[in-house]
Amino acid sequence: MVKFIQEQLKNNDANISIDEAALVAQAKAGNMDSVERLILKYQQRVYNAVLKLCGNSDDAAELTQDAFVRVIQNIKNFKGQSSFYTWLFRIAVNLTLNFCKKNSRVSFQTLDSEPDEEFKRQLKDYLIDKTSPQPPQIAATKELHSLILKALEKLDADQRAVIVLRDIEQMNYTEIAETLDIEIGTVKSRIARGRKNLREILEGAIQ
Amino acid sequence: MKDMENIEEMLNCYLDGELDERKSNEIQRLIDNDSQVQGLYDSLKRYKNLMDTVCQVPAPEGLCDNITAHLEREVLLADTPIYSLKAGRRHLMARRLMTAAAVIALAAALSAVIFDIFVPKSSRQQFLSSALRKKTIKQVLYEKPFADTKQQQDTKVVPQNYDVPFVAILTLKTNSPIEVDWFVAKALTTTNLFSQTTAIDRRAGTVRYVINCNNQSLAGLIQELSFIWPQCTDTKIAIGTEQTGKYIAINNISAQQAMEICKAENSGQRLRMANDLAIINKFTAPAIIDRQYAAADIDYDLLVSQKPALTSTEKTQIAGQSSSDFKNATLTIIVISN
Repeated sequence: MVKFIQEQLKNNDANISIDEAALVAQAKAGNMDSVERLILKYQQRVYNAVLKLCGNSDDAAELTQDAFVRVIQNIKNFKGQSSFYTWLFRIAVNLTLNFCKKNSRVSFQTLDSEPDEEFKRQLKDYLIDKTSPQPPQIAATKELHSLILKALEKLDADQRAVIVLRDIEQMNYTEIAETLDIEIGTVKSRIARGRKNLREILEGAIQ
Repeated sequence: MKDMENIEEMLNCYLDGELDERKSNEIQRLIDNDSQVQGLYDSLKRYKNLMDTVCQVPAPEGLCDNITAHLEREVLLADTPIYSLKAGRRHLMARRLMTAAAVIALAAALSAVIFDIFVPKSSRQQFLSSALRKKTIKQVLYEKPFADTKQQQDTKVVPQNYDVPFVAILTLKTNSPIEVDWFVAKALTTTNLFSQTTAIDRRAGTVRYVINCNNQSLAGLIQELSFIWPQCTDTKIAIGTEQTGKYIAINNISAQQAMEICKAENSGQRLRMANDLAIINKFTAPAIIDRQYAAADIDYDLLVSQKPALTSTEKTQIAGQSSSDFKNATLTIIVISN
């Protein structure tokens, strides 16, 4: 059943026509198929956000699983005041932030310890000298991914959470405020400070 | 500085499309007219483009299966009555209590085994018999056969403040002389009378203890010695009379009877009691005890270290000295092997 739904989701979302509200209602009624669909729909996004917050793929998998289990166990209490997606992310992010606080030192898994000189030069040109447009070879490289994860590691947890939700999860400010249960003004200031710090960290890394 | 922070915050909002139309226009004008703001905006934009390139990592294989399996297990456990209903909780509690009871029973069994291994058989029997006898031990074995009127006659005979010293010989015949001897020594230690034991004479088949103390201590000693009575085949006590060398012998005396004699208030009462018990226990009274010991091949002189009953002007009790401190009793215990 799971594989079938996965295939369907990969091939053609429109054919399945997943109505989130209907799925939530069916999941509340105890329909396990709907539960599976909800999990399949959001598992990758939740996993990626959690991974960027905690930095370890094993911990991220476990935290994602815990988050979904909690969500499904408490789905009867979900009143629909926010979207299911925001509610799910709120639980996942809170679980992850609590986990990070308990394990005060977040250890990020990086693919390469040090980027090579050519990569550094290209990234420096792009970020500091601003002489070249984004070279396609920089984007989507393992080195860039590793460098960004390292930079995220150095941010404090609150700033890391807003940066991940905005720049990686592409949430708008209202959703971020709902997810983290903070004011929109706080979201704005944290995003501004977080990006500034992240920029400084990245620039420091490629000097 | 603060303005720059506000502008940077506004630029971020503009970049993320979070400003309304009016503010967007203002920021756009600022970017167009201010090269510093334009540089900052350009830097933010490049950073944002870079972040957009961060690829999504696929979720681990089987994550969904793990979640559903976890949920199913939770649901199954929740549906199992033993985990959710009161009856189930009671059942679990009962099982815990049964486990605790089993552990206690096991500990008791182990203690019994250890007791069996390390405590001698005779001691165990005494322990058990004493435990069984406890209920009946208080029954009165001796009742005063005469009214107290006769006591007045005694007070006329015996001078005031003078009492005949309590001299007694307790003979214990046994098949287990070593154990009985050990118990006598232990009883002396327990009652703190070992230091008041003036003589211990050990010979083949015979052990003799001579103890000088007061009547109350003697009663306590007899109470302690009551444990060895079951080990004895014959028990005899000889109570010294006012005449030196003359004793009232009581055969088959029980520990309780011996204690009653020790607790007698004065010699008159003690001797009357001894006479009565001698008759009750079917023994002729009074008897000349030294002849009996001679017949048993025991040197009588070694058995008794008593003072004469009546001596010149010696007082039995010094003024100001309590009766409990005064050593007016001499008990000789003889353990004889059969």
